Amino acid sequence: MSDELVKAIADMEESRALAMVKELLANGADPLAILDDCRRAMEIVGERFEQNVYFIPELILAGEMLKDISAEVKPYLKQNVSGKKNGKVLLGTVQGDIHDIGKDIVNFMLDVNNFEVRDLGVDVPPEKFVEEIKSFQPEVVALSGFLTLSYSSMKDTVDAIRKAGLRDKVKIMIGGGAVDEQICSYAKADAFGKDAMAAVTLAKGWIGG
Amino acid sequence: MFELTLPETREGNKTPEQLFAERTQRMQDALALKKPDRIPIQLGFGYMLAEMGGITRQELHENGEKEMELLEKAALYFEPDSAMGLFNNPGAALAVGDRMTKFPGHGLPPNGSFQFVEGEYMKPEDYDAFLDDPADWAIRKYWPRVFSKLEGLSLLPPLGIAAFGTYALFQLGIFKAPPVAAALRALGDAVEAQAAADARGQETFQRLAKLGFALPLFVGSIVEAPFDFMSDTLRGMRGIMLDIHRRPEKLIAAMEKCLTFQLEFAINFRKATGMKMCFIPLHRGSDGFMSLEQFERFYWPTLKNMQEVLVENDIIPFVFYEGVWDQRLKYLAELPKGKVSGLFQFSDIFKVKEVLGDVMCIAGGMRNSMLQAGTAEEVREWTRKVCEVVGRDGGFVMTTGIGEMEGCRPELVKVWVDATKEYGVY
Repeated sequence: MSDELVKAIADMEESRALAMVKELLANGADPLAILDDCRRAMEIVGERFEQNVYFIPELILAGEMLKDISAEVKPYLKQNVSGKKNGKVLLGTVQGDIHDIGKDIVNFMLDVNNFEVRDLGVDVPPEKFVEEIKSFQPEVVALSGFLTLSYSSMKDTVDAIRKAGLRDKVKIMIGGGAVDEQICSYAKADAFGKDAMAAVTLAKGWIGG
Repeated sequence: MFELTLPETREGNKTPEQLFAERTQRMQDALALKKPDRIPIQLGFGYMLAEMGGITRQELHENGEKEMELLEKAALYFEPDSAMGLFNNPGAALAVGDRMTKFPGHGLPPNGSFQFVEGEYMKPEDYDAFLDDPADWAIRKYWPRVFSKLEGLSLLPPLGIAAFGTYALFQLGIFKAPPVAAALRALGDAVEAQAAADARGQETFQRLAKLGFALPLFVGSIVEAPFDFMSDTLRGMRGIMLDIHRRPEKLIAAMEKCLTFQLEFAINFRKATGMKMCFIPLHRGSDGFMSLEQFERFYWPTLKNMQEVLVENDIIPFVFYEGVWDQRLKYLAELPKGKVSGLFQFSDIFKVKEVLGDVMCIAGGMRNSMLQAGTAEEVREWTRKVCEVVGRDGGFVMTTGIGEMEGCRPELVKVWVDATKEYGVY
């Protein structure tokens, strides 16, 4: 465990963090401990994002650092490790809409809050959500949309989930640029979240964690 | 499809000429922060025209005459002060093989919504070339990348060679090379498509004027906040956000560059056409994208400067403050008073009035979601409140927060427009 590494990542000192990781690995440090430091740093990044200290530039840079460090660490890992997650969230931008910024932030925040997220990407048709609910068995489905067109796609998606007899198996949250409370009742979703923190709060409220 | 029964007489039994003069005055008064006779209403129908006309969005984009007919019908039915249809059509984009847009029927189903495909079309290593000579980089490197049918332009010599006088002529043979010749043909097709679209646009507003409708605030030149210019079509969201941390100086230098040539463009446009409006859609400056500290360093200085210079040149910026700007309204209050205008999507419109009522003409007030999912009572009551509070003392144009009305229910739009005419009288 290296507090210095955690701090470097959390403070957005990209080149310093990466140099430290290389040095630690060269000196025979435990690769799992480095990944654990990354996890702790990401928690701090998430907290700072919640506190309006960090914004999208920092989330993206943090994601980059995580990717680069993981790539450095990977050759040293003997097996894959995964801890126990709080619960499962199925996420996607609804049909006809290809915007992914908001969705990706929700993914990041759910992930640092220890939820297992399956991200279906953008322009996801209702039947794809239905199919994935069956196989992934999430507790929560999160629908994202930026265009006003997404209003009807969200409605169609919730409808398809209901018709497939899965409506009482999942809680459904919606969010995104042009979405508000009114669209939540229009689409017959369970809740509307105005930002990524709201998504985490909703998921925690429904699943716990 | 929505059956329209057009009323037998026009608003107030007036002639189209009277209506045009009155409505134009109404819009002008609101823009100048004066109190018109009542709050003007602008409707940007967009895809709602396809829904009302029972045609696909693809047909709406590609059949100009049909679009115009539906627009005229909708305008006559709702009788707003100003109306418009689609923002763009696919002609030029298809001609050059544009990779950054998708139109209904072209990469999307016939009833899909036009969308941008954002990407990192400019790489970090392109900054130096961009800073050195943005035009050369754009034509020889960027166009071949983003427009599939212009790939041949990558074979051109550095454009600076053009300054070589008679020796520059020695290089002209390259234009005969098949890939370059194909690119020039595609460019020629795009020119034809765009010229036809421009002519159709002009005809649309002339026909609307003849029917008594004022020019919408959107019509004029279009530029972007320098940060968005670098983000939207060049670096993409991920790229630009990383630039804030990894290469802030280069980003700022690049923004200065695109501030300069965009201003020259807008000023020349004003001189050549006489049109006063300049539309500036904003994307990445709203609450939530970056911190206030970053906003003060990367976003606001060039956007403020841009608007100041436009105003000095007798141009009225019409800025789309997309998303929420609640934490940033105090910056907007620094703009030249009574000389700028702004369309607000999701900001607290009452707060906007409070902070900016004596600074800019405010447009907006109606949520698109309410016109799709609300009730008539709700729409009437909200409209009354907006007219009373945001409309107070003028300087307000009633319109939807998003200037595109796909999915809005015609019966609710009617209630909204009628309520504005009722409660919006000064």
